[in-house]
Amino acid sequence: MLTSLMPEGLAVFIECVVIGVCIILMYAILAIILIYMERKVCAFFQCRLGPNRVGKWGSMQVFADVIKMLIKEIISLKHSDRFLYELAPYMVIIASILAFSCIPINKGMGVLDFNVGVFFLLAASSIGVVGILLAGWGSNNKFSLIGAMRSGAQIISYELSVGLSILTMVVLMGTMQFSEIVEGQADGWFIFKGHIPALIAFVIYLIAGNAETNRGPFDLPEAESELTAGYHTEYSGMHFGFFYLAEYLNMFIVASVAATIFLGGWMPFHVVGLDSFNTVMDYIPGFIWFFGKAFFVVFLLMWIKWTFPRLRIDQILKLEWKYLVPISMVNLVIMVLIVVFGLHF
Amino acid sequence: MNEIIEIPLERFRDEVLKLRTEKQMDFLESLTGMDWGESLGVIYHLESTVTGEKMVIKTSTNNRENPELPTVSDIWKAAELNEREVYDFYGIRFINHPDMRRLYLRNDWVGYPMRKDDDPMDERNPLRMNNEETIDSTTELKLNSDGTLEDQENIIFDDREYVINIGPQHPATHGVLRFRVSLEGETIKKLDANCGYIHRGIEKMCESLTYPQTLALTDRLDYLGAHQNRHALCMCIEKAMGVEVSERVQYIRTIMDELQRIDSHLLFYSCLCMDLGALTAFFYGFRDREKILDIFEETCGGRLTMNYNTIGGVQWDLHPNFIRRVKEFIPYMRGIIHEYHEVFTGNIIAHQRLKGVGVLSREDAISFGATGGTGRASGWACDVRKRIPYGVYDKVDFKEIIYTEGDCFARYMVRMDEIMESLCIIEQLIDNIPEGSYQEKMKPIIRVPEGSYYAAVEGSRGEFGVFIESHGEKNPYRVHFRSTGLPLVSVVDTISRGSKIADLIAIGGTLDYVVPDIDR
Amino acid sequence: MKNENSYLGGLLNGIGTLLTGMKTTITVFFRAKTTEQYPENRAELKMFDRFRGELIMPHNENNEHRCVSCGICQNVCPNDTIEIISETIETEEGKKKKILKTYKYDLGSCIFCELCVNACPHDAITFDQTFEHAVFNRDKLIHTLNHEGSKVIEKK
Repeated sequence: MLTSLMPEGLAVFIECVVIGVCIILMYAILAIILIYMERKVCAFFQCRLGPNRVGKWGSMQVFADVIKMLIKEIISLKHSDRFLYELAPYMVIIASILAFSCIPINKGMGVLDFNVGVFFLLAASSIGVVGILLAGWGSNNKFSLIGAMRSGAQIISYELSVGLSILTMVVLMGTMQFSEIVEGQADGWFIFKGHIPALIAFVIYLIAGNAETNRGPFDLPEAESELTAGYHTEYSGMHFGFFYLAEYLNMFIVASVAATIFLGGWMPFHVVGLDSFNTVMDYIPGFIWFFGKAFFVVFLLMWIKWTFPRLRIDQILKLEWKYLVPISMVNLVIMVLIVVFGLHF
Repeated sequence: MNEIIEIPLERFRDEVLKLRTEKQMDFLESLTGMDWGESLGVIYHLESTVTGEKMVIKTSTNNRENPELPTVSDIWKAAELNEREVYDFYGIRFINHPDMRRLYLRNDWVGYPMRKDDDPMDERNPLRMNNEETIDSTTELKLNSDGTLEDQENIIFDDREYVINIGPQHPATHGVLRFRVSLEGETIKKLDANCGYIHRGIEKMCESLTYPQTLALTDRLDYLGAHQNRHALCMCIEKAMGVEVSERVQYIRTIMDELQRIDSHLLFYSCLCMDLGALTAFFYGFRDREKILDIFEETCGGRLTMNYNTIGGVQWDLHPNFIRRVKEFIPYMRGIIHEYHEVFTGNIIAHQRLKGVGVLSREDAISFGATGGTGRASGWACDVRKRIPYGVYDKVDFKEIIYTEGDCFARYMVRMDEIMESLCIIEQLIDNIPEGSYQEKMKPIIRVPEGSYYAAVEGSRGEFGVFIESHGEKNPYRVHFRSTGLPLVSVVDTISRGSKIADLIAIGGTLDYVVPDIDR
Repeated sequence: MKNENSYLGGLLNGIGTLLTGMKTTITVFFRAKTTEQYPENRAELKMFDRFRGELIMPHNENNEHRCVSCGICQNVCPNDTIEIISETIETEEGKKKKILKTYKYDLGSCIFCELCVNACPHDAITFDQTFEHAVFNRDKLIHTLNHEGSKVIEKK
């Protein structure tokens, strides 16, 4: 549409800028919704009410927190490594936004849709590790360094499990492109199609995804009661805000990838054979399905976080290398056998 | 009261070694420094865990310029921190003690405050505005083989070690306590505890207060055992004056002690879970604790500073609603405790964090004097309620919970089971409270006859003892509180070597010390 | 249990315990919450009678109190919280009597030990149940307990 008004290069440029702004806006709005949801959900688990003073049912609480964080003083350290210290939050945010753009929200609404979509997603989310290590080193603080080292070891280990479980589903589908993965679930979500190995892969993916984002029982690197905030101790104001945002959005990304690959993305819930049921389901628009599934998985992750105590770092690594990786590999072999012999639905 | 046996200085070491080996006096209950005017000395309360015999011995020196006494820290490890405390307050140096540093006061404090001729408020110690220098070396007074004494320097942490501070302000140290930890990767090599951040000089203050006024300070020692602390002090004064309290008062005191014990153990559970990361369990514990605090508030008037026991009885009679509320509480607690076990105890993550971590052997527990849940988890039957029954504990039927593994999980389970036992005790007593007076008639000015007296109760965290020496006046001459937490802090170094930082948090949480009790 | 030593048994046992914990928290999720909405529920919030909120000197309807300024409470207080300022006057019969001018009570240094209330021979002072003591200035914490123009109840 715009090409009729101006040369092509400029139109593409404007389109990119507009899409970029849209992504950042959606990012921010989702973060606000997620933070509010976390505070309310965790309060309800703890038999208390959560924020309910600022605005009706505490809805303006997060806006107040955002404003507070924006106007806080950014304290600069005397002896930190300036370049690395400043760079770290930005790396984390960039990794997060890149991963966020790959996800298809509705038919044709994925921003970055390559034919190696899944692979790109895994690669982009790995940039975040660099950000964390830079934060710990650049802070010139013994506690931050310990936290960053632990976090680095944890994230690098769990990427294996994430990769293996996603690979299991790619074997089932045969493609790595996100839009085709979702299209292929029109006659049933993968978790039903692939039965046993898909279920095991789903559970492993959730556990490993939890550990990837330093959440839940795996949050030792930033454990508040042990190392007082770990690798982001020395950050204040908006720099801390970036880390905080990135953590919530990473959780959302993990949840939405789970929703896309295992639960069907924006595909409604179809049962093969019940056509009238299917047409009723089709009336509900795609993005409501998508967000519903993603928020359901987010709720699951929050439930896990607020119930269990923390694992120690050597127990986290033991869980990964002794339990999750072998089980994922065996699972992959089973899935391959099922696909070869056509035993799936 | 036992006779105090005086042992002269020259024969002291040999006599004490004989007591340890021949008479098996392996539990040093309390070590109290004293200033008798011309001489300075130390009083030791000893007990044998094998025969149950108790002894009180003392030794003193007339040299007020450079008082030196032989150490007993190689015989009973509990003496390590206690002798540092005596050095801090009285200036007595102990020969062959490996670490002769001040415990509670700053390194640059001038003078020895508990001596009778020393006034801590004069101008030698102004309010210093700069931080205390951390000194990593300490002196030891060594006895050479030819009989001469010399100072030797011992290094605590040298320059090449990676030392981090945990505390004093830290969410997991249960108060203001500073641990300096030398690490190797994630493993702890050595640990040094710095106490004294909340030292208020209660023992020195008590020397200038009358007996009823000293009662008000006990609520602020171990604030989760307010009833038990005051019970100990009232028992000691009543024993000294020969006052018999009525049956009703005994029943009331016992029931209040047990309710306080449940309250303290619920807080232990909440804080342990919070330290390990399970924040929901924290709120469950506090929600149920509120019910107990409401019961206390109705009868005693306070939720933390209870102010209930007095010399000769209790402040007021039980509120008419008390019995009904306690009877409602007991089935509620029984019904809800399964939630605690489901959320935390059965959890495999909790098992991994707590089992096999921080093992304390029975000999170490006795030598350090670590009583309470910690000692019972290591297999030592140290409950004062069974050893020296007081109140109406000899009339109730309850089990003493003992586990033998000595690790964090055993310490945790001891306290959870003790909650159930306390509920049993209250159930047996609540219907049978006899009628009677709730306060004996006392003189307006209370004077305690001359002599030394010791009384102990089973606090929530261990044996809480009160030692009073009186010269017949209306102020005590010396009051010493045998704190429940000081042995627990001295144990941390021994049991955390070789474990990780995350384990240190679990160990600190399960030892369950409260810092105002340590620092007094 | 013997199946804890095997790989699969240990794994399934672990997952079982985790699921039990999750079941408990989800039941609490749907239960009624225990939060009290504080400033709005002041009407229902009644403290117990014995709650020690603040020291007061009760006055009857003729603005009379019972303090004869004997000074026992001031001596008994461990913390020098109470200060009694009294003056000696001559009564009609020519006897010298001490009456109370100002009864100063420092809320900031009171430790609520009730020794003063116990020691008072005439029940002149007692604790009431107000608990909202926060002020911005420490001087406002020093209260004068006897009202303006009040005098002691005459003994008939």
